[in-house]
Order: sequence, then C-alpha cells, then structure tokens
Amino acid sequence: MKTLVTTEYSEVEAVRDVSFDISAGEAVGYLGPNGAGKSTMIKMMTGILVPSAGELSILGRTPHQHRMANARDIGVVFGQRSQLWWDLPVRDSFDLHRRIYDIPAARYEGNLAQFSELLDLTPFLDRAVRQLSLGQRMRAEIVMALLHDPKILFLDEPTIGLDVVAKDAVRKFLARINRERGVTIILTTHDLQDIESICPRLIMVDQARLIFDGALKDLRASMGTRRRLTLEFASDPGPLDLQTARLSSDEGLLKHYQIEREDVSLVDVLAEIGRDRALKDIVLEEPNIEEVIRTFYQGRNTAAVTA
Amino acid sequence: MLRHLRLIPILLQMNLRAQMEYRGAFLIDRLAMIIAYASAFAVIWLLVARFDTLAGWNWGELALLYSFHTLAYAVGASFSFTQMRDLEEHVRLGTFDAMLTRPMSPWVYLVFARYNIGYISHISLALALMTWALLTIPIDWSIGWVAYFLASLLSAALVTASLMTMLGATALAWTRSNHLYSLYFGFWELSRYPLNLYPTIIQGILLTIVPLGFMAAVPVAVLVGKPVPLLGDIAPIAALLAGPALASLAVLFWRFATSRYQGAGG
Repeated sequence: MKTLVTTEYSEVEAVRDVSFDISAGEAVGYLGPNGAGKSTMIKMMTGILVPSAGELSILGRTPHQHRMANARDIGVVFGQRSQLWWDLPVRDSFDLHRRIYDIPAARYEGNLAQFSELLDLTPFLDRAVRQLSLGQRMRAEIVMALLHDPKILFLDEPTIGLDVVAKDAVRKFLARINRERGVTIILTTHDLQDIESICPRLIMVDQARLIFDGALKDLRASMGTRRRLTLEFASDPGPLDLQTARLSSDEGLLKHYQIEREDVSLVDVLAEIGRDRALKDIVLEEPNIEEVIRTFYQGRNTAAVTA
Repeated sequence: MLRHLRLIPILLQMNLRAQMEYRGAFLIDRLAMIIAYASAFAVIWLLVARFDTLAGWNWGELALLYSFHTLAYAVGASFSFTQMRDLEEHVRLGTFDAMLTRPMSPWVYLVFARYNIGYISHISLALALMTWALLTIPIDWSIGWVAYFLASLLSAALVTASLMTMLGATALAWTRSNHLYSLYFGFWELSRYPLNLYPTIIQGILLTIVPLGFMAAVPVAVLVGKPVPLLGDIAPIAALLAGPALASLAVLFWRFATSRYQGAGG
C-alpha cells in the first residue's frame, strides 16, 4: 500500500570512474552501446547536466558553473534533435545563431560561405527546414554549430539515419574542419566508420566505465581478438594440427583456423604447413572493429551471467 | 541582459512568421476560442438573467469580473501557458538540452520563441466585453481608479504567468508536470466568480495555496467597491502585491528547478 503514495527512486549511475584528458585539436570518438553513458558524458561536458561527483574541466572551466561562457566556446550537434526552426528557411536559423553568439558580420559571412561550399548547402539555404531531407538538415545543423568558430565541437551521433553518401560527406567535412581549422572534435557514435574516418583516438565506455582509450588500431590487440585463417586444399590432407594456428572447424577441403598470437605471421603458418600438402588458397581475415567490439560485449554479458 | 532584450524582438518576429505558415489553422483556432469563451460567458448571463444577481453582483459587475479575468489570463498565459505546458515535451525529447547549450537564458528563448499570439482572440473578446461593462456600471472615474485598474490588471497577469511557470518548471526537476495543469484549471474555473459565492475554505484556498483569487475576484471587488471576504481592508494592496510576489517566487523556483535538471534518456 505504501508504494502507492511514495515513490522509490533508484539512482542510476550513468558514468563512473571515467577519466581522460583531451588536448586542443584532437578528434576523439566516444563509443559504447546504448545506455553506456555516452550522452550523459556529452551533457556534462556541454554544461547541461551537473555531475554528482568528480572533476570536469572544459577549456579551463567547470561547464555547469559557467554555462554561458562555456556555450560561447563550444558547438553542439545532436543527431536526433534539430536546433533549426522547422517552418523557416535555414538561413533564418543561421541568422538567429549569429545574433545569439554576437558573431561579427564579416566572420559570419566568411564562415557561412566556406562551410556552405564544402557541404553544398547553397541550393537549400532559402528553403524551409521541414522541406529538407535528413541528410541536408544534418549538414545544416553541423554548419550552424560551427558558425561562431567554437574551439570544441561536440556531436552526439551525427550520422544516425543518414544514407551512405550523406555520411561520407559529413565525415569528410568533419575530418577537414579538425585538420584545417584545428577544431577539437568529440563525437559519440554507434558507427565505427565515423571513428575510422574522423577520429585518430577512441574512448570506449561500457556500463558506465571506461574500457579503452587509445588509437583505433590498438583496440584489437588490447581486446585480444584473433585473426581467422581459412585454408583450401586441392585434396583433403586429413586432420591437420598446427603450432601456429588452432583448428576451429574442419570441412575436409576447407579448414578454418584461428591465429591467437599477434606475433604469428602468415609466413610462419605457411612454413609450418610446408609445400607438399596441395594447398590451393589462403584467406586471412583481420576481424573488423565491429566484430572486436561485439565479441567483447558478448564476453562481458556471459561473464556477468556466470558470475 | 541587454543582449537578451535585443534578441526578444527577433525571436518574436521569427515566431510570428513560423506561426503564419499555417494561417488557415491559426484563424480557425482563433474562431473556436472566441466561441468557447463567448459561450461560457453566455451561461453566466443566462444565470444572472434568471436570478438578477449572483452573490450580490449584478450583470455589469460580473461582466467586468469575467472580462478582467479573461484579459489578465490571456496576457499572462501568452508568456507562459503553451511554453510551459510544452516544457515537459522539451525535456522528454531533449530539445531543452539544446536550449542549455546556447549562451542565452533558456527561459527567454522558450518564452519568446514560442510566444503565443493566439491569445489575441481572448484579448479582443475581453476588451469588447470590458468596454461594455465599464460603460454600464457606475464608476467614479479618476486617475487613481484608472491607475489602480491597470496596475491590478498587470499584477493579475503576473499571477497567471508565475503560477504557470512554476507548474511547468516542475518538469525540469521531476520530468512530469502536465497533471498539475488539470488541477490548476479546476481552480481557474472557480476564480471567474465572486469569492463570496464560496464557502470559507474555498475562499481561503483561492487566496493562499492556489492564489487565483487575485486574478480577478479580489481586484474587481476592490474596483467596484464590494467587500472582499477574509482580506477586508488589506484587499487593495494585496491585489497589487500578489503579482510581483509570485513572480519573485517563480524566478527562484525556476532557478531551483533548472539546477535540479537531470534530462531524459541516455
């Protein structure tokens, strides 16, 4: 009966023990499954939410205590919520942005011209936002967030729902802005392609904790994932056990192996097999990042169940 | 602060243009509002035509009460009602988050970018009825009376806007707020009639916990020289202070609620 009148709140920890430094000019991808605390982290860094504990400093300021000053120095793009005026031409939202951020006319015109050209906005600048495709709208959102020359650009899932062409345009543009203008980029995404093309550095979180911080290419080694080797023979050599690779399935002519050690190369494997086994073809597969991460999450889930 | 004042006309102008994209819907909506308010008023008129007076108030006085109530409500609500009712949705969809990432007050942005010009229908209806009422009832016209009339009207508009804002702001701290509006409109309905129509307990509530009595019943009783239950002699000054006092409270509450903001979703 008591629960009818009193509500019990359970506190959900969205971010804990997550610690990192990002230097000016970096481009960092913040990655994690749904509910890992990605958006919460972005909201704390942009001054929307107040962290309950810990230290957070953006450009030397505590964001929620200096929300206005912080807001002037950052740009924020939310993939799933528009900041443009739905019923008015794109240009009107840009103009309001200019006034809110007090952007000097010359700088505004210069930025608008350059960004519009790079992202091909000119054809629809005077069209009402509601008439734009998602890709066009997203390009407009990104340009708007950059008009006041922010030092840091935060993007929360900027490519969500976009088609391949639009994704590519957005990625190329962001990589270029980071390279040429030195704008620090911090983005969250589910799409690893975003990180591969924009962010040299990857921060991975899961269940509110930091699990990886480093270069994308080091992720595989750190997660201990295996390369897959498939050998095709002209005639079945029978069961073939190797030192360098572990046989995972045997289909006779086709044999699948896993290479567990990073220091084993294809040459080592070939040397071990020798020349007299009628080997016809070899396929060595580097696990793609998606797979690395999937393996990691699956491993974590089974671990949690058995624990 | 000054920058905010410069932004207000731009937000209002953009908002007007955006709303005018749907001119037809806008006009039909206005017509519907006029009909709704006029028929509510016709009901009171029917009652009074039958019994001559209501709680000692004649038709002209009731017309002044009703028009004062509608005008003060419309002015106050145009700065608050739809904006604050939608705040719950802005929290849920995360659009309030976006407002917080701009170097400006989210309140100024919300209130003026979404300023509701639709209240023009309430305002025109109220002004027409008010003119008629003021010509019908005997009034000792003086500068003091007119000044009091305008000041108490402003105070009443502030009462509306402040209460609406506080109700809406609860969405920031507790993500839900819309259930509170039903409660509000229940008492709002009561506040269109003279206070002495009600038992003391209701009068008490309307002057304290839900101070909607200050929207019309108290100031109009003062203006037409009727006694005000419970308040007595302090009624004139109480009606003038209610608005500014509640507005200050609303500012504090808004700040408190924004500091408790937790957002919604991951």
